[in-house]
Amino acid sequence: MLGRWILLFILGITAALMAAPLILTVFTSLKPTTELVNPAWYPPIDMTFEHYVRVWTEGGFSRYFFNTLVISVIDAIVMIFIASMAAYAMVFIDFRGKIFLQILFLIGLMIPVTAIVLPLFQIVRSFGLLNTHLGVILADLALAVSVFVFMFTSYFAGVPKALHEAARIDGATEFQIYRRVVMPIATPAVVTTALLEFLWSWNDLLLRLLLMTRDEMRTLSVGLLNFQGTMTRDVTGLSSGTVIMAIPVVLLFLFFQRHFVRGMTSGAVK
Amino acid sequence: MFLDPDSKWAQRLNPVLFLLPALTIYIVFAIYPTYSVIEYSFTDWDGISPEREFIGWANYQRLFSDKIFWEAFRNTFVWSGVIIVINVGLGLVIAAMLARVWKARLLIQTCIVLPVVISPMAVATIWRWMYQPTGVINQVLESIGLGGFATPWLGSPDVVLYALALAHSWSTIGLSVIIFLAGLQAVDEDLYEAARVDGANALQQFRFVTMPALRPVTAVVFILTLTQSFKVFDIVWATTQGGPIRFSEILSTYMYKRGALENQYGYGSAIGVSLLVIVSIATIVYMQIQNKEDR
Repeated sequence: MLGRWILLFILGITAALMAAPLILTVFTSLKPTTELVNPAWYPPIDMTFEHYVRVWTEGGFSRYFFNTLVISVIDAIVMIFIASMAAYAMVFIDFRGKIFLQILFLIGLMIPVTAIVLPLFQIVRSFGLLNTHLGVILADLALAVSVFVFMFTSYFAGVPKALHEAARIDGATEFQIYRRVVMPIATPAVVTTALLEFLWSWNDLLLRLLLMTRDEMRTLSVGLLNFQGTMTRDVTGLSSGTVIMAIPVVLLFLFFQRHFVRGMTSGAVK
Repeated sequence: MFLDPDSKWAQRLNPVLFLLPALTIYIVFAIYPTYSVIEYSFTDWDGISPEREFIGWANYQRLFSDKIFWEAFRNTFVWSGVIIVINVGLGLVIAAMLARVWKARLLIQTCIVLPVVISPMAVATIWRWMYQPTGVINQVLESIGLGGFATPWLGSPDVVLYALALAHSWSTIGLSVIIFLAGLQAVDEDLYEAARVDGANALQQFRFVTMPALRPVTAVVFILTLTQSFKVFDIVWATTQGGPIRFSEILSTYMYKRGALENQYGYGSAIGVSLLVIVSIATIVYMQIQNKEDR
């Protein structure tokens, strides 16, 4: 019994230490500048949202936020469609060269984005898509699609083949079966895909740094990086910016923790 | 769709229609760049001029004699080593403890896993602030009488790589913990019962029941942590950009400097290829282990 309490005590401290950096950041973002002389673990006494307002308006974070949101939402929605359709063909339709495609998608799991950014920049440029949301979206989709094709493939593999056969005999086209029979029962895979792709897209820095050089196209990650570079000493502004960037994904995580945990364990290769 | 679904044409067209969107985007923006990075690495190119001069293995020869490359190479391994020790070692211990606790488990687990969803850029900002000479970490050390250990964490050559590895581990250890937890759920509860009957204490149970049962999962987390830490760019770039001098230079930041900033596309790509080879081999090993486990 005593052992259990010691265990709980150690875990409690671990949890507190893990949460501390986030809590301290929230504290700092809410402190009036005069309270910055206090140690960082002092909670804000005279709470203020002025730093948030300042960063959101003058700091340009409202635009960064909007840009990030647009890219992440489009990424997530398009990913659901292209990955599930490809996986549908891989599981339910017979065609030649399937093994070849499987290997091709497998390669995608091995490619580290970091290693191929130089040619990726050139290709996006050659399409004239530098400084466009579309360029980043296409790159995001391409670099993560294989993860989700495999996720949907393993989910569809659990769908009874008889269901597909029966629909075929009833005269349904493949597209009808995909839309009316298979997708409605694939909700868990859809939710996981949406959450993970949104998260990856929201958080990425490297691709956005490389492909978006104009300020009005920037996302939160690049915005925060630049803010950090120019306003190194603006601790309150920086922590407000950090919190603004973290709030959406933290909320999503708290609401969908179960889905996230399952998705991150299965989509972990990326 | 408009055709008779049983016609031969529809049969042929269907897989094409379903696969086309994913495949087009994937081939143009993932497969082709992968091929290109290898091709670039055999050329001398500034990334702008229309001419790419083929120079054979020259970039790789230069790589072998490039002192900075080997520094970055070494740093990448040290960096990954530190992260593996923390994420695999500590991750396993935390998961094993968490599996034995029922009270407040969800709250504790949430605190540990939450940093996983925070973006590396935000992680960089938070830790850069905490690591400042007058930052919270030094404040804490001084207030508990350990002021002698206080140091400008990101400014000292001997410390910076470890300090950054710790920040990265903070934001990724939650992933190891949940993978270990999933593995622990599969361990037969009877084994613990039997061990307890034989008089094994908690530590012995961990050593002789938990650890052997988790060996495959441990291998998975090990390789996963390895590949993930090799790919890191964001957090290092956003804190030190490889500095001071080159003490936190890793392969990805070095490649970015040479390739994207100095426009040495051929040479930068050769660095990229070295990263590609290491990560691919590790990923193949990872998939082999997972396949064995699924069977």
